[in-house]
Amino acid sequence: MKRKLLSLMLVGTMAASMVACGGASSTDNASGEGADGAATAAVQSDDENTLTVYAWDENFNIPALQAAEKDYQEVNPDFHLEIITQSQSSDVESAVTLAAEAGDYSTLPDIVLFQDHYIQQYVTNYPDAWQDVDDADCDWDGLGAEKLSYSTVNGKHYGFPVDAGTAIFAYRTDLLEEAGYTMDDVTGITWDEFDKIGVDVYNKTGKYLLCMDGDGNDLFYMMLQAEGASQFKDGEPYFTENEKLVEIFNVVVKLAQDNVLYLANDWSDYTDQAIQGDMVAGVYNGNWIIPTIEQVKDNAGKWEITTAPTLTGAEGYASNGGSSLYITANCKKTDLAKDFLAYTFGGRSAEDGQSITYDEALTNGGVIGTCAAAAESDVYQQGVEFFNDQPIYADIVEYTQHVPTVEQSDYHYSAREQLATALQDVLTNGEDVEAALANAEQQLRFEMELD
Amino acid sequence: MEKKKKGMTLANKQLAAGWLFLTPATILIFIMSFYPIIQAFITSLKTGKGVNMAFANPLNYNYTRMLQDNIFMTSMKNTFLYLIIQVPIMLILAILLAQLLNNKDLKFKGIFRTCIFLPCATSLVSYSLIFKSMFATQGLINSVLMKIGLISENVNWLGTPATAKAVIIIALIWRWTGYNMVFYLAGLQNIEYSVYEAAKIDGANGWETFWSITVPLLKPTIVMTAIMSINGTLQLFDESMNLTSGGPANSTITMSHYIYNQAFGKGVGALGYTSAMSFLVFILVGILAFISLKVGDTRD
Amino acid sequence: MTKKNKSMIQRRLIPTYIFLIICSFISVFPLYWMFAAATNSSLNVARGSIAFGNQLMVNFDHLKAAVQGTLWTSMGNSFLYSIVQTIFTLFVCSIAGYGFELYHDKGKDKLFGILLLAMMVPAVATMVPLYGLISKANLLNSVWAFILPGISTPFMIMMFRQNSRNFPPDIMEAARIDGLPEWKIFFKMYVPIQKSIYAAAAVITFMNAWNAYMWPKVVMSDNRAQTMPMFIANISSGYTVDYGMTMLGVLFCSLPTMIVFFVLQKQFAEGITGSVK
Repeated sequence: MKRKLLSLMLVGTMAASMVACGGASSTDNASGEGADGAATAAVQSDDENTLTVYAWDENFNIPALQAAEKDYQEVNPDFHLEIITQSQSSDVESAVTLAAEAGDYSTLPDIVLFQDHYIQQYVTNYPDAWQDVDDADCDWDGLGAEKLSYSTVNGKHYGFPVDAGTAIFAYRTDLLEEAGYTMDDVTGITWDEFDKIGVDVYNKTGKYLLCMDGDGNDLFYMMLQAEGASQFKDGEPYFTENEKLVEIFNVVVKLAQDNVLYLANDWSDYTDQAIQGDMVAGVYNGNWIIPTIEQVKDNAGKWEITTAPTLTGAEGYASNGGSSLYITANCKKTDLAKDFLAYTFGGRSAEDGQSITYDEALTNGGVIGTCAAAAESDVYQQGVEFFNDQPIYADIVEYTQHVPTVEQSDYHYSAREQLATALQDVLTNGEDVEAALANAEQQLRFEMELD
Repeated sequence: MEKKKKGMTLANKQLAAGWLFLTPATILIFIMSFYPIIQAFITSLKTGKGVNMAFANPLNYNYTRMLQDNIFMTSMKNTFLYLIIQVPIMLILAILLAQLLNNKDLKFKGIFRTCIFLPCATSLVSYSLIFKSMFATQGLINSVLMKIGLISENVNWLGTPATAKAVIIIALIWRWTGYNMVFYLAGLQNIEYSVYEAAKIDGANGWETFWSITVPLLKPTIVMTAIMSINGTLQLFDESMNLTSGGPANSTITMSHYIYNQAFGKGVGALGYTSAMSFLVFILVGILAFISLKVGDTRD
Repeated sequence: MTKKNKSMIQRRLIPTYIFLIICSFISVFPLYWMFAAATNSSLNVARGSIAFGNQLMVNFDHLKAAVQGTLWTSMGNSFLYSIVQTIFTLFVCSIAGYGFELYHDKGKDKLFGILLLAMMVPAVATMVPLYGLISKANLLNSVWAFILPGISTPFMIMMFRQNSRNFPPDIMEAARIDGLPEWKIFFKMYVPIQKSIYAAAAVITFMNAWNAYMWPKVVMSDNRAQTMPMFIANISSGYTVDYGMTMLGVLFCSLPTMIVFFVLQKQFAEGITGSVK
């Protein structure tokens, strides 16, 4: 038995190492080398025309990066971009944290994709991890001021924008019609009017007019930004004193209580159950939510997009999510990396009104950029069948121009989380709004070590 | 004389061999566990992030901060709730199953044993995904319950704090009962069958034999599985992370998950603070393991 | 013992059978569901369909193309790491367990007590310092980064130590008188009669190594070094997730551990029996 076991193991080991070597034989063999004990930092390439990048989301960001690689190969045929997939944005963040804490940046790739809301604090706390790109050869003015406000630290540019994150409000026109409404009736309205329509829609069709991931709860941030307001004031939480925030919070509570708003319990519940499970008649989020909506082929032609309601009835513009590309301190081929990024996502290739990067990022990944010049292309201008032939991409780029810049904070996500907790307290534990908000503000102050 | 000398070297050789056998394991544990925990303790005395990290003033700053941190307190309550509810249910169920399977008249033993053990062969990532889909709002559980008329509209299992906690506990019991059962089953093999026969002759019923024979004889195994389960539950991470993401609104988050979030999940980590929290987990596990060992002893 | 008597016993066992069947069903059903989901389209999985679908090959094609086509690489890596980890663990922990039990004295018992403390060290606490160690040793993305922290575990040492109690000291004495060196006693006398504990330890170690997620995710950042659980995590998060494909991936990830258990389950049970004596 022992011999059988042992031989089984040996065969297994050999088979495994063969598979491992076979699978990676075309490129430099990380696992094979590892088995021999001679490991190298495999996230760097010796080839002078190859750059490595960390990115996440196979259906969104990665097609955009592949488009950029193809675009840059037009001017540099030998160029190769090696994309290393991470499971989520926080993996890239932890890679930077770990490298910094270990005092060894040699473990980082040349370029990383990084969430907009986090980059400021990473540049501030780990200044040695990055290289600024202020002198890159591209037209910064054409890339959207609100978007660039995230990647600019101390007046210096550090990143190139990938996706815009501009918010859209998508409605099911067939369900609106069933309740007796049109797209015009839901454009440029107040949240109170929206609530009334939502009640009608729910009673007639059984669908919610709005849904949101109750855990992260992007709603408050977007609704506030559409008002030109922020959760922060002079770097401190601004909840209970903030009239607009209090008003919006009450609106959200009412929407939820009236069955107008469905609060999903996490991200997958939001995308799979609420949106793809056909529970809703409306979706309000960053435009990256579009591919999720498009998954349900049965509903093609029934959706249209517009701007969001506001407290005053003006059309609401906001943005949510989004990320940019940054060059790490470990990049030895800085000139190549800068030129690649400036040419592609920096918009140099779009100067003639047609950019492979932006066009294919849109067609293959649904990534809508912020580059104004790229939006002139046919790909951006055409009508989209799923959205009743509405030219939604051009519309979104138009929305992007109106998004107000509001005060940002390193504690952006903490603030959202505290507000989501407060909402939960009000809705399920019956706490009153004022107390819940006061508690949320106090919690956030605690986390920011302000008290 | 010569013989004696040779004997000395032989004893020395034996002594050396004994220590040599322990050396690799000991060195590895010191480098891979003790060195990092000492490092973590030193870090736990520091505050600030990234390049701004420095020793705290006062040194116990992170430790006092913990007590004022409502989310950390919630995570601690959650973890202990899982511990108090899940561990006893799981262990009792495991003993019961082991006892039932130990019946020599029972047929298909192998099939039952394999079925009940199978869940623990699935990876944590996998089984979290499976449970998440089954308990989704329009998922399987809801559609079954709707069909048999137990509920009239879909329950948002993972969306309300109480049911989300229940789902975590159910998932844990599903995954680990079979694993513990195998240990009890093995323990029962060591009990002579004649002991049961004797009890039967004395007129003891099944319940009495269970309490007066099985449980006392299984005690060492019970203590071992209890320590393992307590340790596993106090460090519970994957289920909270993958199944509920700690939500809704942190109501199901565990200590390890909160610590992870503070270190990696939400921007630049407050590593001093997270080290302090994990050091507390270390001490808690130690205390509870010590208590279970003592409880195991005194019943003798 | 008559036939009648036997059937009466079986009849008395009916509640037991029912209970065991229910438990088995609950245990196996989610796994059945995983199989079914792997053959369905994403939308049907999200809607909780339990019937088998016809999307298996489509899902398989998507799976092969996912994460730069690293499905087989990940599978191979997982096998490689788990098997190497198992071999090292069995060797290091069995000699330690043997040493602690058969050469035991006060000093070694104390050391054993200290080593047991390591069981309580939470993984999150040691992650950053450990990463620093592995990174300085230039071992990131190598098999060593994966296995080093997991080779020597107090639990395994304890398991081998418990089992070593079965090993009669007389045999050792006899072997010594025959002039066999200490290491030969271990390999020639001890190992052959302890095969079931080795099997049990192999099953547990292999499963733990195969399912490890947190640590590999930190040290194996290169896609070509990634493991199956990481591969699954990579395909199951993002703005939109293909659930049919993901479930097929989950199936691929679960099969090896199930097979290992099936093959070794008899020895596994025997090995555990020895360690809980």
